[in-house]
Amino acid sequence: MDADIQPATPGATHATMQAPAQPVLHDVLLQLASVVGEKNCIREVEQLRTYESDGLASFRATPGVVVLPASTEEVAQVVRIAQRANLPIVARGAGTGLSGGALPIPGCVLIGLSRMKKILEVDLDNGFLRVQPGVINLDVSKHIGPGGYYYAPDPSSQSVCTIGGNVAENSGGAHCLKYGFTVNHVLGLTVVLGDGSIVKLGGPVLDEPGYDLTGVVVGSEGMLGIVTEVVLRALRKPEATRTFFATFPSTTEAGNAVSAIIASGIVPAAIEMMDKLAIVAAKAATGVDWPDVNAALLMDVDGPLAECEHTSAIASRLCSEAGALEVRVPRDAYQRDLMWKGRKSAFAAVGRISRNYLVQDGVIPRSEIAKVLREIAELAAKTGLRVANVFHAGDGNLHPLVLYDARVPGEEKKAEEFAGDILRICLRYGGSITGEHGVGADKAIYMGEMFSEGDLETMGKLRCAFDPEARFNPGKVFPTPRLCGDKPGPHKPHASELSGDAVRV
Amino acid sequence: MLRSLRERVMFVGGGTQLGLGPAPEVLFSTRLLNRIVDYAPSDQVVTVEAGVTLAALQEHLNKQGQRLSLDPPLPERATLGGIVAANSFGPLRTRFGSVRDLIIGVSIVRADGTRAKGGGKVVKTVAGFDLPKLMCGSLGTLGLIATTTFRVHPLPESHATLVARGLPASGVFALVKAMRAAQLEPAAMVATREETTWEIVVRFEGFESGVKQQREKLRTLGAFEDEGDSVWAAHAAFRTAGDARVKVAALPSQLEQVVSALPAEQRLCWYPTLGLGFAMGSFEFESARHTLAALGGSLTVEAAPSGSAYGAPPDSLRVHQSMKARFDPRDLLAPGRFIGGI
Ligand SMILES: Cc1cc2nc3c(=O)[nH]c(=O)nc-3n(C[C@H](O)[C@H](O)[C@H](O)COP(=O)(O)OP(=O)(O)OC[C@H]3O[C@@H](n4cnc5c(N)ncnc54)[C@H](O)[C@@H]3O)c2cc1C
Repeated sequence: MDADIQPATPGATHATMQAPAQPVLHDVLLQLASVVGEKNCIREVEQLRTYESDGLASFRATPGVVVLPASTEEVAQVVRIAQRANLPIVARGAGTGLSGGALPIPGCVLIGLSRMKKILEVDLDNGFLRVQPGVINLDVSKHIGPGGYYYAPDPSSQSVCTIGGNVAENSGGAHCLKYGFTVNHVLGLTVVLGDGSIVKLGGPVLDEPGYDLTGVVVGSEGMLGIVTEVVLRALRKPEATRTFFATFPSTTEAGNAVSAIIASGIVPAAIEMMDKLAIVAAKAATGVDWPDVNAALLMDVDGPLAECEHTSAIASRLCSEAGALEVRVPRDAYQRDLMWKGRKSAFAAVGRISRNYLVQDGVIPRSEIAKVLREIAELAAKTGLRVANVFHAGDGNLHPLVLYDARVPGEEKKAEEFAGDILRICLRYGGSITGEHGVGADKAIYMGEMFSEGDLETMGKLRCAFDPEARFNPGKVFPTPRLCGDKPGPHKPHASELSGDAVRV
Repeated sequence: MLRSLRERVMFVGGGTQLGLGPAPEVLFSTRLLNRIVDYAPSDQVVTVEAGVTLAALQEHLNKQGQRLSLDPPLPERATLGGIVAANSFGPLRTRFGSVRDLIIGVSIVRADGTRAKGGGKVVKTVAGFDLPKLMCGSLGTLGLIATTTFRVHPLPESHATLVARGLPASGVFALVKAMRAAQLEPAAMVATREETTWEIVVRFEGFESGVKQQREKLRTLGAFEDEGDSVWAAHAAFRTAGDARVKVAALPSQLEQVVSALPAEQRLCWYPTLGLGFAMGSFEFESARHTLAALGGSLTVEAAPSGSAYGAPPDSLRVHQSMKARFDPRDLLAPGRFIGGI
């Protein structure tokens, strides 16, 4: 599984952040092995290497030990052992994350969820299923597909990434424009907290009384606890889907087409944009027969058949009016899949045209796409580096890929600075430093540019409410290390409790 | 102002959902926080202060052919801050989800006066922890919601409402299944009990051709007739009538069990695709509460002359308490009004 993600970041030829190995006490290792079994407790230095980094391979550190539990109960026991030994814990799914979220803390207990891949319950009548966190995203849709259902969030890495990783990152995908992100499709969670206790949050029945802790844990980047079960929404497949591929003289016309389509009242299932370099790369990697143009849009509309026919006709007309060179409609399902394959393989494909590259992820208001792309191009010209753009245009989520050659002295550093400047452009337009890849280890330094001290301190409180010892994934997301401080004093019983109107357990 | 706070305080928007709980010493009205801060129609994003009423916001958005796809009752009075804090919803939740699915950013003032924001002003962001979600349904116990940012949708070109009457309780879920099998995508759907049978109202929205196709398809699934829009206003009135009301939650397939857990004469409406409903009028609800809890659901009091609002607290009460203690260590904000006495 981990091997599959290698091509995604050939930029990782150097070891910028190689942290030294730190051995875990023999006694602790024995305890861990007794919980998960000898062969699921990995401590040989050679084998630990596999877990040194996630998809952001320029950051590396060696975990103290890797454990692969098989059940919620085993996870809880592992967490208790780690707590007693005062070791940090890092969770890991498939390791495809692009922000260093699953980057080990040197000497940590790394909990790999890859063995927990059972689909535990399927209730299509009520539109949900319950799965373990190690289940691969695409396997969910495969499992319920024959019954006419699917799981909506579709990250491009969906054939390898896990539901647990998706939950931690609140992952998105091309079709999240209409259907929402992971958080909109997670109904409940089972979470192991820092003291090894197991809590259930939410569930298939909506509106569990209390705070929306499920919504809070989704997107928390593995910092609140280990997710060991997930209740997912299963959606009925739409009656029809219409896809088309439109080419443009430049990203400006393509951006205008996106704005026109959105303004017409259509909510497309997906609108993806690719620029010249991304098109060249996708062609080289997948053999799609796309023309050499400066910009292209790949779009889906779905829903009731009659509506789909109508909206796809309007959308292609709007593309033509915006200056499209050509609008192609796939002849059949096979051609459609090929078009989407071209898009979804774009990150890896860039490896065909550049020795190294950085994947950036930022968000801007979608009406500003053309302007922001021009600014990025100007920066590229100034730095002398090339950028390929492939992104979720419908929700303004940019993925500029900064191409460079690590063999040229100084070029890597230049690329990193350029990628950082792109985030600053996003912030200047009122956007965000990440739309779906997460902050992780990579972007913690930019958090202070997007959020004030009060914002960060408040987010810190949220974290401390779950994990007062900062056991999980310490050092990620926040720009400066934070401690939870003393636990606030015991909650005083309230008058309503004393009078018996309310109970506390 | 909050920084110097000593007394227990409760934030009040339109006062539509004040329900239960001990009376606070200070009521803090958000009525003057009534500006629409920022609206970018081409980005379909709007930021409003907490005291803006839903009706005022909708009027503003409608001018640009857009709306917030959220339709709880009493839009003239309900404020956005209150709607977020109470997790209020109406029939459109069928298609568009609840507040948590539409909110993208929030700014709050904590009990110690610290201002903080989370989320953003773009439809997609995963930077930092999700304060907007934390505020949804928090009933003013964690902080004052100062502004909220929402994703908005285009107004549909066309819509149609249909009604079928005289269905047995078992027919309600059967219809949901049949509609799903037929790949119909209702924007709103609500079932209301009339004596012993059920009336179901369905709304389709979208482009005209799609609405027409779905309307015709639905008519092949049951004795549906066209109905005017006023039925939605009647539904909202039904939901707010009287001074006693409980919310019930179960799986969509469990309607019959829900029905048998409640008194036979209880006025009841049910969102069949969501598994959520409201029972009106006062009754002895403890036994129904137990039945629903055993089904994996819940019964929450929205308004009642007496009784406790919540049943046994959830599994995660400890985390809830810890959240409250971190955000409001002096226990000043709406104390005792939330689950487990928080
Ligand atoms: C080629 C490629 C394309 C991609 N395309 C997209 C895309 O379109 N959209 C998108 O959103 N992302 C995309 N990604 C990023 C990545 O695939 C997602 O972030 C994915 O959700 C990570 O899943 P994973 O199983 O690999 O998690 P990992 O990388 O192993 O972990 C990610 C984070 O989740 C935490 N974690 C994992 N499991 C658990 C658990 N059970 N409990 C608690 N925390 C846990 C880890 O600690 C870490 O912080 C892409 C990556 C690649 C390599």
